[in-house]
Amino acid sequence: MPTSVSDRNGSMFQRRHSINQPVCFWFEDHEVVANQGDSIAAALLAAGLTQFRRSPVSGSPRAPYCMIGNCYECLVEIEGQGSVQACLVEAVEGMRVRVVSGSKSEARSTDN
Amino acid sequence: MIEHSADCQVAIVGAGPAGLAAACVLADKGVDVVVLDEQAIPGGQVFRAVEKVSTARSEDMGILGTGFSAGLQLVERFRASGAVYRPGVAVWEITSAHEPELSIGLAEKGVAQMLYPRHIILATGAMERPTPFPGWTLPGVMTVGAAQTLLKSSGLVPDSSVVLAGTGPLLYLYASQLLRAGVTPQAILDTRPPVSWHTHALALGALTACPGAMIQGLRWMHEIKKHTAVIANITSLKAYGKDQLRSVSYQATGQVCDLTAEVLLVHDGVIPNTWLSMSAGIEHHFDPVQQCWVPDVRGVGMTSRDSISIVGDTAGIAGAEVALLQGERVAREVLGQLDSPQPAKLLSTKEPLALRRRRRLRYFLDRYFPPTTQFQLPPDDNTIVCRCEEVTAGEIRQVAARGCMGPNQGKAFTRCGMGPCMGRKCAATVSQLMAEVRGMPVAEIGHYRIRPPIRPITVGQLADMPIRRESNDLAEAGASIYDTLAPGKNSTS
Repeated sequence: MPTSVSDRNGSMFQRRHSINQPVCFWFEDHEVVANQGDSIAAALLAAGLTQFRRSPVSGSPRAPYCMIGNCYECLVEIEGQGSVQACLVEAVEGMRVRVVSGSKSEARSTDN
Repeated sequence: MIEHSADCQVAIVGAGPAGLAAACVLADKGVDVVVLDEQAIPGGQVFRAVEKVSTARSEDMGILGTGFSAGLQLVERFRASGAVYRPGVAVWEITSAHEPELSIGLAEKGVAQMLYPRHIILATGAMERPTPFPGWTLPGVMTVGAAQTLLKSSGLVPDSSVVLAGTGPLLYLYASQLLRAGVTPQAILDTRPPVSWHTHALALGALTACPGAMIQGLRWMHEIKKHTAVIANITSLKAYGKDQLRSVSYQATGQVCDLTAEVLLVHDGVIPNTWLSMSAGIEHHFDPVQQCWVPDVRGVGMTSRDSISIVGDTAGIAGAEVALLQGERVAREVLGQLDSPQPAKLLSTKEPLALRRRRRLRYFLDRYFPPTTQFQLPPDDNTIVCRCEEVTAGEIRQVAARGCMGPNQGKAFTRCGMGPCMGRKCAATVSQLMAEVRGMPVAEIGHYRIRPPIRPITVGQLADMPIRRESNDLAEAGASIYDTLAPGKNSTS
């Protein structure tokens, strides 16, 4: 279902500077290299991810919209915690990030 | 994680210009002040990542301009001030005025905690006005502010096929920053309606009051128009694509045109971020000029709750310079209140000259960049208004026509505003649409009732929260209920 992290060609945003303090984290089964201080959302956009999740209502594709924590379009699962705003979390070495399923039909319990 | 005390004299929510300036003044006077920030580093959105840019990406300072680099001094002053800085903190509640004690519910790294300040200063800033149009939920459509955040925080830019649309100072500021970064946008689709000679005349007043800012703005406009196609009088905007944006269609002076684009950045000015102030039960009103809800503020930052002040763009859009000046003034007002907590007195109502000059600039900007009608009242009924629940403008018009009283009742019929964003991206539009259909002023139609928690928090986090044993009977009763219903970590594991 998720668009995989592609090569840089189809990327909506490019880095103006090369990564000088690399931080590696996992998005599904892909290793993503972020720069120290990048939010998960910024790192995924820079890595070429165009679609972050599907809306639970119609299944329409969604991606970060406001980048300051208001729109909740960038929701991902981080370290097993569902529905986390990717724009508000800094990338940490080894972090496990997954796509949220969250559709009404496949609703699952978010245990904590 | 550092163990933080549950008590402080003043808690400030937000680390933008207003919050930081207030914190500096209070800390200088020896007040025990805590700044709660959702971000990882101070600066808010306007000075976002300014320390990092200055050290790790210093050439970007020139691209972002003087309005940005001015923030470095403030952030450095704040770092040296002695104020307690708590980054990465989500504030999900300010307890209501009926509670025995003023408190803030916060969560840091998944751990919830209550903070008990004597006074709270809300400096939660602004957010971009929603801009609904057909296709605005497609990946590739973002706000101008979002793209600027990516530039500040991570040095990211789109390529030259990017299209900008809408209106407002931020759109032109960002376009000028892109040009300096070597990216020439494909087109700027300007939705600003033609303005009257009277508004142009106001420009003279603004020019005398703030010549620096006005000349800088004119220079941006000149640079942008020299390098990129600025298409005026855009009356319709649509985004197309299957899984992501492929093309943008627009209408200008009757003609429909298409552009191939993967990134469309839209902006229509900013409005106060009032989710925390509204959830705290503070009185608000609708500002007919800025077309947004603002807290009732009297004197210097005082609200309908004596122990809560509001400052910066949350108190009404006025910009970073005003936020900084007002932050210092509010801090002095709060100092006075801490000394004598009796009836909030109006100390210094007369604003200093620098502030009055900025107000004249804002008076002009508010009228030169009015909100775009086609975004406020989407003409196409199929336009999604509520992005989370995918409720359209047509559905809102329909329930309003059938007698729905307002946005709160509308939730029951449509689920509009009940998704994860809690109405942040649809509240403004829903109130406007209902007011239009019912032929009533927006002020009477009202706004969603905002209730805590205003940030997501799990029941587990709530249950694990430490309880203040030494406090009064009410809290004791509450504690015993928590213990029975939801045993904390100690008892389960």
